[in-house]
Amino acid sequence: MNLVKLRKFTYEEVTRCNRCGFCLPSCPIYLVKGIESATPRGRNAITRAVIEGRLQWSGEVEKSIFSCLGCGACTANCFPAIKTRDIVFRDRECLVSEGIYPKIADRLAQYILEEGNISNENNEERAEWQELIKGIPEHYFEKEKADVIYFVGCVASFFPLAQKIPASMAMVMEKAGVDFTVLGGQEWCCGYPLIGAGMPDKMDALIKHNVEVVERIGATKVVFTCPSCYHTWKHFYPSGAEYLSASEFLVELLREGNLELKPLDVKVTYHDPCDLGRNTGVYEPPRKVLSSIPGVELVEMEKNRQLTTCCGGGGNLEMVEPELSGKVADLKIAEIQATGADVVVSSCQQCLRTIAGRARRRKIPLIVKDITELLAEAMV
Amino acid sequence: MEREEAIRKLQESVGEENVLFSDVDLTLYGYDASLEKGRADAVVLPGSTDQVSLVVRLAYQEGIPIIARGSGTNLSGGTVPVRGGIVLHFSRMNKILEVDIPNRTVTVEPGVITLDLQTMLLKQGFLYAPDPASQKVSTLGGNVGENSGGPHCLKYGVTTNHVLGAEVVLYDGTVTWIGGKNPDNPGYDLMGLIVGSEGTLAIATKIILRIIRAPEAIKTMLAIYDSIEDASNTVSAIIAEGIVPATLEMMDHVVMEAVEKSVQAGYPLDAAAVLIIELDGLKDGLDRQAAKVLEICKRHNVREIQLARDEAERARLWAGRKGAFGAVTRLRPCYMVCDGTVPRTKLPEVLNQVMEVGKKYGLLIGNVFHAGDGNLHPLILFDERDEAEKNTAMKAASEILKICADAGGTISGEHGIGIEKLREMNFIFTEDDLETMRKIKRAMDPKDVLNPGKVIPN
Ligand SMILES: Cc1cc2nc3c(=O)[nH]c(=O)nc-3n(C[C@H](O)[C@H](O)[C@H](O)COP(=O)(O)OP(=O)(O)OC[C@H]3O[C@@H](n4cnc5c(N)ncnc54)[C@H](O)[C@@H]3O)c2cc1C
Ligand code: SF4
Ligand code: SF4
Repeated sequence: MNLVKLRKFTYEEVTRCNRCGFCLPSCPIYLVKGIESATPRGRNAITRAVIEGRLQWSGEVEKSIFSCLGCGACTANCFPAIKTRDIVFRDRECLVSEGIYPKIADRLAQYILEEGNISNENNEERAEWQELIKGIPEHYFEKEKADVIYFVGCVASFFPLAQKIPASMAMVMEKAGVDFTVLGGQEWCCGYPLIGAGMPDKMDALIKHNVEVVERIGATKVVFTCPSCYHTWKHFYPSGAEYLSASEFLVELLREGNLELKPLDVKVTYHDPCDLGRNTGVYEPPRKVLSSIPGVELVEMEKNRQLTTCCGGGGNLEMVEPELSGKVADLKIAEIQATGADVVVSSCQQCLRTIAGRARRRKIPLIVKDITELLAEAMV
Repeated sequence: MEREEAIRKLQESVGEENVLFSDVDLTLYGYDASLEKGRADAVVLPGSTDQVSLVVRLAYQEGIPIIARGSGTNLSGGTVPVRGGIVLHFSRMNKILEVDIPNRTVTVEPGVITLDLQTMLLKQGFLYAPDPASQKVSTLGGNVGENSGGPHCLKYGVTTNHVLGAEVVLYDGTVTWIGGKNPDNPGYDLMGLIVGSEGTLAIATKIILRIIRAPEAIKTMLAIYDSIEDASNTVSAIIAEGIVPATLEMMDHVVMEAVEKSVQAGYPLDAAAVLIIELDGLKDGLDRQAAKVLEICKRHNVREIQLARDEAERARLWAGRKGAFGAVTRLRPCYMVCDGTVPRTKLPEVLNQVMEVGKKYGLLIGNVFHAGDGNLHPLILFDERDEAEKNTAMKAASEILKICADAGGTISGEHGIGIEKLREMNFIFTEDDLETMRKIKRAMDPKDVLNPGKVIPN
């Protein structure tokens, strides 16, 4: 991406931003920082000023553009629906080609391209979470051929706090008799972190590999517990198999009557992950899953669905500015606490990590669960 | 004083992290929701009255302009630093300090968002009435600065009718109180002078506002018309009958089209105009009033009246109305709003003239406005990157304001003068009038440091 392309793709869009400011109170970064360069309006104005030659790419521009969560709350509150998230990601591409970006992104890209994951781990370790399930042999869920592929994603594979998600999801699918496989070391990062890092051009090899694996296995469906993987496959991968978020798939299983559930006496609130809800449009399936479990009472947060507040974990912010990401999580935790629910349920490993991690650091008693985990608990 | 030294002094006053002066920051604090642009020399985020006072004193000593700023959503260039200077952004001073239910007052810092206060109060059954369409982002400091109005101000009055007192910082940094919790204070009404002065006479650091009980019942109706004239005549007739609805808002088909592209508010796209009529008050009697309004609408050829069935439907109708300005950039990239006010009986005639101006210059004009107050908001649509079209739009805007002034109205109902409407001040004030204003300004700000270059033409 360069200025000529940036102008082509975004100039009309940023010009339609009429600086009304309606997006300001919805932008978590502005709520935390309280300065204009942290607003969606400001990010649009920076982009326009650079295109018009009134500002240069600089470290100051980098600070504003790389402190966006890509959460999309601004667009949901904007009458002309300016897509600041897309604008910001294009800016990041320009900044990368100018050499002005958080250098930690280079390491991330290196890990992804060399190891196939974000954690600089041997990619074969992706199977590690299976050890959480007692009494199964190693690589139990990895098959040569299957109808359904469960794409686990990097975070749930490598971060201990999130490994219970694939363990729960696999158990549920196993119980329901689904013919499925996970990819183990054959799963490569979907490429999403590279989009956030302003390096989407590096994704091609990842896409090619992952698509080939799906074809080899002959699956008709690929299922994701990670909303960002799901979003990336839906928007950047060629169409082939059907791509489904975990909750959409679980709703199918529940409808077919393949799961027997016992009551859980619990009051929950549901956190809509940005990439699942606002950015891909999946709002009702997770709520259907919750309502299918007897005894579960759902209380909504004041801001839900399109208006949800990001957990703070979006757009690579946790990597670039962890403290800012944590302060956004504080906003989310306050919203959760206001519901009086016993448990906050999400359907994203990143939300789970950000919210639970922050709560623990601040010694706030808060139970955070993934939707797959709650469902696994309810299984007879 | 050298710039570096001034910045160092500011940092000493408010803390290093609360002074911004990068190229990016100075550019971003150069705009507001108008089309004007300027450039600040520094931006300060004060955390207390004392800090505001320190900064203003420094500005006074050094003759540096000082510009108070809330969310920067004013539509007239009110926060644009035309002569550079220090922008005081109140985002950190955003606390609701006291809710005094027995005395029916609240005390707030200037950076509190209008809707945040209203939401908090409504939970306790109370109302802060002024509701600019920008209430979800505007600050109370900004509302005071502009004397903002909104749909419900038809019945409840504009901001100035709700400000009882304020702690203010004067031009030299002196901190003082004006007014207070008492509903009436002896002597000159200095509070009235400061509300609407766009930060040119004093800077408010605490504001005491009047609150009222939330109405027991509300009825919201959408009256649909095939002609703008019928809709306008309905407005005059309702008021003439002595009925004061909570709101009487009008929207034409251009605006409805833009809004419906943004949210599904449920506006009819084949109609010429709609009125949003809201009645509120005690449950008893509301039906009778509604029947009367219905009858007046029918007399003026209303095509259909829809009653909002529940709170969700009411919220949808209002969401569309409140986002109307922003929505029109779906039709063309930019808009300019002419905030003229005319006597209600002149509405049909003036609206026709406005549309004539649009035709004459080949510009698309949309209308969405506080019809009950006769406060028009013709939105002239254009592309500011096309210099010629921009100039034509500005010419058209000026002509529209002239039409309002000539009809016995005025050039700004609520959006203020800032810099955008300076020239048009001559349409309604004589040189003597303006000189009187200059004398007041000189008395309250002898060195012209408070938001210089605004409101009064030189
Ligand atoms: C889409 C849209 C719809 C709007 N609808 C309406 C409407 O219905 N009615 C209406 O009246 N306006 C409306 N406005 C205009 C604007 O939102 C209001 O004028 C609002 O009150 C400005 O608030 P703000 O916090 O953004 O103030 P700013 O724009 O930041 O400041 C406004 C003025 O107040 C001064 N000021 C700010 N803080 C202080 C302080 N602490 N002490 C003294 N002066 C101060 C500033 O110097 C400036 O002159 C609308 C604007 C937009 C973009
Ligand atoms: S992004 Fe949309 S909501 Fe935000 S200032 Fe621009 S037009 Fe208004
Ligand atoms: S995407 Fe989220 S963080 Fe980024 S500007 Fe929009 S609201 Fe703010």
